[in-house]
Amino acid sequence: MKELMFFDACCRVGDGVERPYPGISGLLADMDHFGVDRALVQHNSAGFLGAENANRILVQMLEKEDPEKRLECVWNLLPSQCGELPEPEAFFSSMKENGVHALTLDPFSHRYIPCRLTLGKYLDEAVKRKVPVFLNCFAGKWDDLYAFLREFPDLYCVVHGGDKWGRDRHLRPLLEAYAGVHVEFSGYWVPEGIADLAKLYGAKRLLYASGFPRYNQGASMLQLKHSGLDAQDIALIAGKNLETMLEESLC
Amino acid sequence: MLKQCLWEKNNTIAQSFWQNGKADFPIYDMHAHMGKHYAIYMARCEAADMIRHAERIGVKRLCFSHYAALYGTDGNEIAAENCRQHPDILRMYVGINPNYPQLMRKELANFDKWRPYAIGLKFLADYHKVKMTDPAYSYALDFASERELPVLCHTWGNSPFNGGPIMLEIIQRYPKVKFFLGHSIFGDWDSAERCIKENDGNVYLELTAIPGERGIIEDLVRRVGSEHILYGTDLPWFDEYQAVGGVVSADISEDDVRNILYRNADNIFGKEW
Repeated sequence: MKELMFFDACCRVGDGVERPYPGISGLLADMDHFGVDRALVQHNSAGFLGAENANRILVQMLEKEDPEKRLECVWNLLPSQCGELPEPEAFFSSMKENGVHALTLDPFSHRYIPCRLTLGKYLDEAVKRKVPVFLNCFAGKWDDLYAFLREFPDLYCVVHGGDKWGRDRHLRPLLEAYAGVHVEFSGYWVPEGIADLAKLYGAKRLLYASGFPRYNQGASMLQLKHSGLDAQDIALIAGKNLETMLEESLC
Repeated sequence: MLKQCLWEKNNTIAQSFWQNGKADFPIYDMHAHMGKHYAIYMARCEAADMIRHAERIGVKRLCFSHYAALYGTDGNEIAAENCRQHPDILRMYVGINPNYPQLMRKELANFDKWRPYAIGLKFLADYHKVKMTDPAYSYALDFASERELPVLCHTWGNSPFNGGPIMLEIIQRYPKVKFFLGHSIFGDWDSAERCIKENDGNVYLELTAIPGERGIIEDLVRRVGSEHILYGTDLPWFDEYQAVGGVVSADISEDDVRNILYRNADNIFGKEW
């Protein structure tokens, strides 16, 4: 969009195990159609591919199919004890080399407990380096998310905003308690709820996200555009917040 | 360099909503509620806030059932009083709980008193745990059939109370009732299609919870045509701009968008209701 820069914080690409999904070209076509400038992408099948494969495949997909570099990928973590990923220092160096500035995890598919014992080495380093960690794996698992954040209270992270039916009773305590918690609002359909959260916790804590390919990118764009917030806050949420987070990552 | 996007195309409905926040036509929101809900914090669940939100985008009629009627015992009169206070926009569905047959008869006896605000009935079978085909609904369905009233039914795919096969059976049993299938039997799109095609034209799919789901509106329009689809938001659950955004974001024609947002309701209720 000419008047606003949109940076979609939650997209998935790549075929799933159960059925094919739109790939990079499908996402880019939708971005053109709706006027989304950039997007952060995870792999639809990271749960089945495994973290290392998903990380590698995502980088390859973007190198091959996104010459204008409108997309950035998110890498998946695993417990440090099994040696499946490089040690933290090497891992974060590799992220930097590959232009990756954000992390996620899939503990329920990859079958480990998301806690300090398993992920502490990586996530302590992520805190130091201000790498945002996307916690959409906890969608609907609020008990687990609360327990996880108790172990990593300083994490710079992005929480999934919900499943259409508003989750303010879950979200607001996290925004109040943890300064590093941000909310991406794919699936956050609460009437004027974006404005309420921005007024309570600051527009810098909120990120535009579509949830592509499940959701189209347009619905939440119009929701944000007419959220009732002023133009400056809308611009932050539409894209500037995520852009800043990724620029500051790994510094 | 980005190409001209949906919101920038001149003289389109999408551009109008983007730039002005509304279009050059009214919107009929055919599925709303009112009042507090046990399971969620809703900041804008009473009439004044709901109306302010809905009017921003150009909603002309906000058709709701009150939670105090669906989960309690006295909500229909509360709904009617809200309509009396806001007659220019609010219309009500009389909430029916089949587990309270005496109350149901009493509320239906008041239906004419609540006209013209009362436009139909609302069934919430998944929550009341009574199958739509159960005789417990017969009195209310006979009532609606005699008057050819709309009945807005909560429906959901695979539900044992208001899933596809059950809805198909009940709509064929009552050809004079105008069935509005709330949520369009979400997820069971084959049944939604059958409910439209295997009846006498008395059934409409209602979109609450669907706009924004990528490709679903397109699929429904392809299956049944936009003439049988109504717009709704479940307000105060869902944001009007999110929902309208989902409709205009769908890859359908502007005629389809108009059908969904207002023309179909016009055809059912007339211009003034």
